[in-house]
Amino acid sequence: MTASDYLDLIIKSLLLAGIYAAMAVGMTVIYGVMKIVNLAHAGFLMMGAYFAFVLFNRFHIDPVLGAILALPAFFLFGMAMHWLLVRWLPKSDTPTLSSLLLMFGVWLVLQNLGYMIFGSEDSSILTPRTLASVQLGNISIPLVSLIVFIAAVVSLVLLQIIFNRSWFGRSMRSLIQNPYAAKIVGVDDERTARLTFGLGTAFAGFAGALLAMLYSFNADFGRPFLLRSFVIIVLGGLESVSGVAIGALVLALLETFSVQVLPASYQPAISFALLVVVLIIMPKGIAGLLQRKLKVT
Amino acid sequence: MRSSSLQFRFTSLIFVASFICLFCIADVSAQDSITLGVVLPTTGGEAKAGQYQKEGIELAIKQINAKGGILVKEKGKKLPIKEIFYDNGTDSAKAASLVERVMSSDKANAVIGGYSTALGEAESVMPDRYQIPWITAGAAATSIFSHGYKYTFGALSPIFLLGTTTAEFLGSLVDQGKLKKGLKIALVVENTDHGVDYVKGIQDWISKHPGYFTVVLSEKFELHGTDYSGLLQKVKTSKADIFLSDAHLPDYITMQRQYLQAGLHHQIISYGARGPEADARKALGAGTDYILAALWWSDKLPYPQAQKFISDYKAAYGRSPDSWYAATAYDATRILAQAIEAAGSTNSSKIRDALAKAELKGSLLPGQVLKFGANGQADYPFLVTQNKPGDKVDIVYPKDAATGPPIAPRP
Repeated sequence: MTASDYLDLIIKSLLLAGIYAAMAVGMTVIYGVMKIVNLAHAGFLMMGAYFAFVLFNRFHIDPVLGAILALPAFFLFGMAMHWLLVRWLPKSDTPTLSSLLLMFGVWLVLQNLGYMIFGSEDSSILTPRTLASVQLGNISIPLVSLIVFIAAVVSLVLLQIIFNRSWFGRSMRSLIQNPYAAKIVGVDDERTARLTFGLGTAFAGFAGALLAMLYSFNADFGRPFLLRSFVIIVLGGLESVSGVAIGALVLALLETFSVQVLPASYQPAISFALLVVVLIIMPKGIAGLLQRKLKVT
Repeated sequence: MRSSSLQFRFTSLIFVASFICLFCIADVSAQDSITLGVVLPTTGGEAKAGQYQKEGIELAIKQINAKGGILVKEKGKKLPIKEIFYDNGTDSAKAASLVERVMSSDKANAVIGGYSTALGEAESVMPDRYQIPWITAGAAATSIFSHGYKYTFGALSPIFLLGTTTAEFLGSLVDQGKLKKGLKIALVVENTDHGVDYVKGIQDWISKHPGYFTVVLSEKFELHGTDYSGLLQKVKTSKADIFLSDAHLPDYITMQRQYLQAGLHHQIISYGARGPEADARKALGAGTDYILAALWWSDKLPYPQAQKFISDYKAAYGRSPDSWYAATAYDATRILAQAIEAAGSTNSSKIRDALAKAELKGSLLPGQVLKFGANGQADYPFLVTQNKPGDKVDIVYPKDAATGPPIAPRP
């Protein structure tokens, strides 16, 4: 392989990391505050994809604009979902079986609704930019992947700003760090949880709409992304937005480069292996490891 | 007190006896039809192809039942087909357990199922266990038919033949001067027996025809992948002239999309038995032009029965049959009906023996005859099709069935 081939692979890994970060960030937000492993995330991704598809097909709205419109729509949907179902779950500092079962059930219901409404047909969004690429010397950069990458970076930065600067972000952080102390100083945990669930669902819908530009989809869309999303948030540290970026990048680099030396059929096994290794060696993820190192030095 | 207890026991006895009688009556009435179990994926990754197969089967059932059903001599009358359908959700474990359920609890006389290879392999262990014939119209890996099973039948020609037909066709392009001799091939196949057989078929032809092609890359990938950028980079660095993949429909669409986005170009592209599907056209538009596919059936076949099938299918479902999926399932149902009539019985063993000898003349499939070999698998020739601009698809091989010339190398 030439230096240009390596550069090509690095760029492809970065773009893939963008896709992974976009799909995982919503799940991280919900886990961080509510300690819910949101298995319905796959269903929200699927709904986001169909949201962009319907807007594109019926109203000729560009899928990028569709993804932006998905943010407020799914924020409200997530809040409604919280009010209707999630708020009844028992409060806990650790993921509970009841939350896992509830979210799994929600996913199955959403999936079957998808089949009822859209059938088993695969849908896709074909625009002039679907197959377009930006040429950088010998290297082709797919335009839609680049758009998803930029959107992922913007949403991570935005989320970090919300986390650090807003009243809501401070409430979220305090609940992540110490829910009991947060309540003592007056943080409304119920309201914060509702907004957090809305925010996580909004980013899931946003990601689904973006992914609809990259893949064909049906009601089962989201399933292959679920495990990777989980690996990324475990890798990055279960409660950290910046950790999502690190986790997505590590997984993307590993998957892309490992194929050059290992048979390509081992690619999915890498996610599983990484999940096991991370859970054993650094249960707080890479972000936790870096924080510990910084404290030591 | 004693008399009321006796009365209670007597009433219970009558209730239980009536209940058993009711079941007996239900069972007798069940024998007034032929129960056909159908287990296919209509949800999950293979939903699309599974749905088409289901439609093909149901069209055949509808046509048979419209004529009064199948004549069963031992009953002295025609019996309609009653379908019991289960969706396996593209899950191998579920597929196997549903076939078991339809054979044991639902007492099916025969079962059609097994799209795709992975699901077919899981299901194929059940027929001999329950001694009920099972026909797959969507799994063609040789491994399914190499265990010596007696009740397992396949309406698709072997994948090995798909590989050799593809290589033979490419060889014919070399002979015609459309391709140069000694071109390099990159082989990228799904990590299933389907993919393994495809590679074997290609390599078998190449080894028997030295000098035509060399394989410079042979890789496998997992089904239903989302990112092939690393794999496609490997294809790029192999500097191959021909890109041959063996993929299922979702992987074909994802891989071809990423292939085009990566700016790759080869003189020939093929995704095995996938190519002309409308979903791929919808997702990629002109990005699927010039792709070659070796298929079990094409709607371009000039047989009158194939054209009638297309018009019947359109009338029933309001759209054309997409690629080969519905046609093989339709003929699998028809050959089963023929075998039941020949057996003159609804006894599963007798149906199995009749299926082994059955020969469906007037088949929709290439060669117009469907029959099963000694291992239970059909063995008719493949067609090679090529997508052309403007959503056109031509049969380009064999020559006597061709509807247009092959365009090679790809512009």
